[in-house]
Amino acid sequence: MTRPTLADEPFVAGESDADTDTDVLTISGLVKRFEGTVAVDDIDLSVPAGSFYGIVGPNGAGKTTTLSMVTGLLRPDAGRITVHGVDVWAEPDRAKRSIGVLPDQLRLFDRLTGAQLLFYSGTLRGLDSQVVRERSRDLIAAFGLEDAANRLVTDYSAGMTKKVALAAAMIHSPRVLILDEPFESVDPVSAANIIDILQKYVASGGTVVLSSHGMDFIQRVCDSVAIIVAGKVLAAGSMDEVRDGRSLEDRFVELAGGRKAAEGMEWLHTFSD
Amino acid sequence: MVAHFLRLKLRILGNTFRRSPWQLVVLILGILYGCGVAALGVLGLVALRLVEVDVARTILVIGGSLVVLGFLIVPLVAGVDDTLDPRRFALFGIPNDRLAVGLIAAALLGVPAIVLALVALSTVITWSRTPAATIAGLLSAALIVLTCVLASRVTTSVASLLLSTRRAREGLGVVAVVSLVLIGPAIALIASIDWGSDAVAALGSFADTLGWTPLGAAWAFPADVAARAYGPALLRFLIAGAFAAVLALVWLALVAKMLVTPERAATVKTYGGLGWFDRFRGTPSGAIAARSVTYWIRDPRYRVSLIMIPILPIALFIPLSIVGVDPEPLWLMPLPVMCLFLGWSIHNDVAFDSTAVWQHVASGTPGRADRLGRAAPVILVGVPLILVGSAVSAHFHGDWAVLPSLIGVSTAILFAGIGISSVMSARFPYPAVQPGDSPFQQPQTSGAASALIQLVSFALCGVIAAPAIVLAALGLRLGGDWATWSLVCGVATAVLSLVIGTVWGGRIFERRGPELLAFANRH
Repeated sequence: MTRPTLADEPFVAGESDADTDTDVLTISGLVKRFEGTVAVDDIDLSVPAGSFYGIVGPNGAGKTTTLSMVTGLLRPDAGRITVHGVDVWAEPDRAKRSIGVLPDQLRLFDRLTGAQLLFYSGTLRGLDSQVVRERSRDLIAAFGLEDAANRLVTDYSAGMTKKVALAAAMIHSPRVLILDEPFESVDPVSAANIIDILQKYVASGGTVVLSSHGMDFIQRVCDSVAIIVAGKVLAAGSMDEVRDGRSLEDRFVELAGGRKAAEGMEWLHTFSD
Repeated sequence: MVAHFLRLKLRILGNTFRRSPWQLVVLILGILYGCGVAALGVLGLVALRLVEVDVARTILVIGGSLVVLGFLIVPLVAGVDDTLDPRRFALFGIPNDRLAVGLIAAALLGVPAIVLALVALSTVITWSRTPAATIAGLLSAALIVLTCVLASRVTTSVASLLLSTRRAREGLGVVAVVSLVLIGPAIALIASIDWGSDAVAALGSFADTLGWTPLGAAWAFPADVAARAYGPALLRFLIAGAFAAVLALVWLALVAKMLVTPERAATVKTYGGLGWFDRFRGTPSGAIAARSVTYWIRDPRYRVSLIMIPILPIALFIPLSIVGVDPEPLWLMPLPVMCLFLGWSIHNDVAFDSTAVWQHVASGTPGRADRLGRAAPVILVGVPLILVGSAVSAHFHGDWAVLPSLIGVSTAILFAGIGISSVMSARFPYPAVQPGDSPFQQPQTSGAASALIQLVSFALCGVIAAPAIVLAALGLRLGGDWATWSLVCGVATAVLSLVIGTVWGGRIFERRGPELLAFANRH
């Protein structure tokens, strides 16, 4: 388990330029409460540049809450987040330029066509319209959205919506991609295709942070992982350190409190007709 | 079983009163028109008691046939009231016939059915000339209500079987609103025709023919009884009864069919190119403007305001002019009223995005760009409207001297609305209809706060435009340079409102981005 190193050190600007050794994302002492319940309870994490970082946890563990605070969408109650050395909540505009976001369970402007949505995302990020057009064309080809580009996003299937949202997250070539459940309801062929795109992005120095329920999948794709349960980080570090010789799923179930014996509901063993 | 359906329907009716601004405007207009139609109908029918049988019959049969026709056609065009679509009960395992009866009972509790029942019962008074005619009138009233309710349920169901795609529903919903709002003026026009003249005689034979069709038979037979023509009366009664029976059988069959027919999948339309995005500059404000304009055209929630704005002043104008208000000053009213609603209509724009607003927050969109972009459709519609509308209004008003103050007041009101909206939508969003929901659906939560916000932003528009309005009023009374000063003052007010609203609202939007998203997430 790695402890955060940056939390107590003053950050010196310019020190953390795109080397793979430095941390591109650091979270320290992050806390979020919702009406009495603590959703994120003093989380510390550091994500090295150029890593493929997975965050796993049971439902309601605080994964989405954490990622929302990292991307500037949810105001934290306490703690500090820096992306590429910039404090997300002190200098949001500068920090947001380095972040690409795929949120989970948030709507898109879905009365736009896929092509319009990509154009909208790129232009909002301040890109020149010619650049946006070229990149949109590339992204549409890479994600296999050619047939869908001129249809309204509201008429897309769930998997297609995820794909166009992911493409929109990448259009401004961010340094870090924060993806919340990127593979939910995406078919296996598209998922493989997306993993391919993400791995190339990581190989060229980008950093991917994603959350997922799929343990096998995280184990296969990610090189680093954090296990979050009930708003706390129970383990974090390189995949091999965290697994500790077992499969990620076994390690996760052990940390998350073990399997529950299925008791009660005897009525389900007899049928009503 | 029937009691369950009635209670469900009452609950639905009760909930319609917890709504958002346009829905409330539409609802109140609807209720006023409903009351007006019912009152006109009842009064007219009571008055017909004093008229000869022939005349009364002609009016009743023609008017009545139109009513039946309306119940048949309006749902086909509008697809109204599918809150009680039989398919929604498919999973409860209710026997078909009991479901069909329950749904009809529930439909009898609707506003149209109640208005119709009042009108139909008034025909009993029209025919209360002999005891036999009175009884025939009662029978006829019951038959009419049953026929009309059955007819509307049948055509509603046919419409939802044939027109279940999203686009068809959205388009026809808007058509329905327009036609419903125009019913009032139409009735006022019909009522002003002099029915005592020869027109009645000419229409007599037409009414007689209509009386033999299913549309008019139920309205005609009490007249025959009153005229002591018992043979034709019996025949017409049988025709009317048979029609109702056929409708009932069709309804039963439809319920049975709909329960096993899933809703049709939408056929998907494709769009070429980037549409409005090609026509605006490739900056954040340009993109947001293009997105807003696209939404005003594509999203029925915006389209309703776009269509209501020209209709509202007409709906106000016609009753006032019929009541006898002097038409010349009245012509000064529609343009400022339209500008008021136009500017005010975006005061909750951020809530219309729902959680999609995350894109603006995550990209660190400049608040000013967001505010300006959202105002773009209003400016694009409003400015040409003021230029053309003020000339048209001045022409009909009869004195071109009012032109400067008309432009001044309208511009001040429009941009005051935009300025207020720019601040309010960032600072005080309140629950709106979710994207993709019908514009007539109620938001899932709403409270006293939303009514207060609507009222305050409405009132503030008037307060900010007050100097221009006062100067315009002085111009009307005293003439002279006051009208020109109203123009100057109005334009200055407009510029100030736009600048202050955009800058101030923009700052609020940037500061409160995460809170706006949290708000959208809660609702």
